[in-house]
Amino acid sequence: MDLRLNETQNMLKKVAADFVKAEAPAHVLTQWYLKRQTAQTELYRKGAGLGWAGMMLPERFGGAGASAMDCAVVFEELGRGPLPGPFFSSGVLGAQLVMEGGSDAQKKTLLPDICSGKDIVVPALTDRGVHFGPEAVQTRLTKSGGNLVLDGSKKFVFDAEAATSFVCAARTDNGDVALVIVDRASPGVFVTPHTGFGISIAEVRFEKAQVPAANALGGAGTGWQTVERALEKTLPILCAYQVGGCQEIFDFTVEYTRTRVVFGQPIGRFQRVQDHVVELSIHLDAARLTTYETLWKLDSGMPARASVHEAKAVASEGYYQACNYAHMVFAGPGTDYQHPLMAHSVLAHTLYQYLGTPLHHKHKMMDALYPRSGAK
Amino acid sequence: MDFSLQQDSPEMAAFRKEVRAWLQENMKGAEHLRWSASWSTRENDEEYQFRRDLAGKLGRKGWLFPMFPTEYGGGGLTVEHQLVIETELDRYGLNINHVFYTLARIVAPVILKWGTEEQKREFLPPMCRGEISVWQVLTEPQGGSDVANCQTKAIRDGDCYVVNGQKVMVGHHLPPDFLWTLVCTDPSRPRHENLGWLHIPANLPGITIQHMHLMMGIKNAVFFDNVRVPAKYLVGGENNGWKVANTHLELEHGGEGRVGTDPLVERVIEYCQQNEVDGRPLIEDPKVRELIADMSIELHTVSLMARRIAWHRYVRQPHPYGGAQFRYHQRMVRLRNGERLQQIMGCDALIPNLSVNEVVDFEYVVRSGPGQLHGGGTLDTDRLVFARRVGLGRPTTEKAPETI
Repeated sequence: MDLRLNETQNMLKKVAADFVKAEAPAHVLTQWYLKRQTAQTELYRKGAGLGWAGMMLPERFGGAGASAMDCAVVFEELGRGPLPGPFFSSGVLGAQLVMEGGSDAQKKTLLPDICSGKDIVVPALTDRGVHFGPEAVQTRLTKSGGNLVLDGSKKFVFDAEAATSFVCAARTDNGDVALVIVDRASPGVFVTPHTGFGISIAEVRFEKAQVPAANALGGAGTGWQTVERALEKTLPILCAYQVGGCQEIFDFTVEYTRTRVVFGQPIGRFQRVQDHVVELSIHLDAARLTTYETLWKLDSGMPARASVHEAKAVASEGYYQACNYAHMVFAGPGTDYQHPLMAHSVLAHTLYQYLGTPLHHKHKMMDALYPRSGAK
Repeated sequence: MDFSLQQDSPEMAAFRKEVRAWLQENMKGAEHLRWSASWSTRENDEEYQFRRDLAGKLGRKGWLFPMFPTEYGGGGLTVEHQLVIETELDRYGLNINHVFYTLARIVAPVILKWGTEEQKREFLPPMCRGEISVWQVLTEPQGGSDVANCQTKAIRDGDCYVVNGQKVMVGHHLPPDFLWTLVCTDPSRPRHENLGWLHIPANLPGITIQHMHLMMGIKNAVFFDNVRVPAKYLVGGENNGWKVANTHLELEHGGEGRVGTDPLVERVIEYCQQNEVDGRPLIEDPKVRELIADMSIELHTVSLMARRIAWHRYVRQPHPYGGAQFRYHQRMVRLRNGERLQQIMGCDALIPNLSVNEVVDFEYVVRSGPGQLHGGGTLDTDRLVFARRVGLGRPTTEKAPETI
């Protein structure tokens, strides 16, 4: 047992922390969230220049060959911003989908440009807003001559605005789920950002969008297995990003309890206020410990499926609740978009939904631990 | 980062083999015993005797206090050895505290920290050998969480302290050898500077112990009536009791950490596999699965927090707020799990000894939900300690007291 970061990880952490401070100081970052300018592609490409896109992929494909823990350390610092941009969606999950589903030739062609940040490949998996899982893949994939044709609408695509292409899950004529890569500039691809409380989400519509047959990732019918394999390796990185968010919220909330004075004393002297911070800390540390343990399992080659789902449930719920408790402490000023809490809050609500809610992942965890009879 | 408890070096693998073989031999005949959280109220004489004997055997091997120096009766071993012993005991649903069943697991480190050389040599070996049972005797009727408001007087008279006063809600249903207690040694001095800490032999004249019947089972009231306690039993020096109390309370309030696992979820799963509703095992019911998921996740976060504290303690860098946070979280989780059991199992959750070989006694888990919220200090004191350690509303943070 050793719960410390190693030397490399401490260095990665510092580089990422410095990057966030230099590139996205609070007064800049808060404006991005207020003006919904979160498709920060140039910022993302700078990060990719530091090796943060495709970080866990082998070097021969342009990756950095990093361990999951190394990658998570970087993402934890990005989450402290919370730095927007397709760092996870393209640089981690998108890249991993190609790695898991692509042929050798496809990997050689596609991955170097994903790892350099030039191509931003954003997953567009489920169609419906209400459910995550293969059942919610409804977009149709049909053959027409030598091409494939996509028809359908993905309601909740995170980082869609930043995409240069999408990894799209679609249903073939015989009901299988297939994955295809669709150029965003193809005719018939429409990206409509959502307004409202979510952030960085858009509806992506495919109206008879033509896709070259060579863009299919893996055989028909293997699509969702590819998604599950990629998620098992990458969800903990998203969790680490959420842990970073929780830590930042904890830190600035503790500081606020010292500096904000009402009724003649710092609010941190009030036990009601203290209670909020206690709950916040439990969500933070529960998220951190389940995430770290999962990363350790992945890096040690241990079975990790149940842990991955547990970590996603705990980290998503933790980030969400950390925001809520911080809102109780900050009251009015915390709802002002000038304060970073608002950036965290909109993002925490969005990531609560992204790739499945905590409840979804609790069921997945249970299925991994205690399979239901008749379950696959 | 390494969360492993059982990835041993060759040396540790050999030690694990030794411990496992030893336990196999020495746990013979104990297979039918319930090593459960409920023993403090349910344990019978046979169980008690077996466990105390086991403690003695572990103690003589140096495995009850593996990391304690050998000159005081400990094992003189490393943190790795301790982890091996704890994880092997965990296979039987036991941990070292569990086997020993005495506050000495907290008391001994405090003596190691605050005792004189003479006291260490006299008090520690019998504890390390698993021979004595110690009660923590802190709570007073008027004091409650305000431990420093101690009214039990211990006034120096020649070679002795003369103790008068009353403590409540302490111990369990089996008698102690020592009473480990906070007393007021000088009523004229300011708060926190007027206290002393005594390690009192329980057989001294003037001590009366009376059972109290509480939600969690039997606890006791202890009366001191002109009890003459030899001065050599004062630990930590004259009027220094509050500092001793801080070390003690840090260890008691979560600072000790632990590396074991809680078998509750496994037992609930078994129950849900064996019991059907409408021809379908409970475990197939999505609502039941959600309840078990929450139970499992929360217990896991509790155990990860405990493991983190154990690690911080082993590397001699006390976690600043981990103990208080863990203790608050653990007790709230137990409370919620009691309700979850009731939702999953219906009335069965209220029937004790549901099955003879249950490692987990469901009824006890339900009952202990509200019952365990305040033992050793309320949830509110945990949150107060947390606030000070983190420095909420304060320019400075309070350091965790040193434990060993």
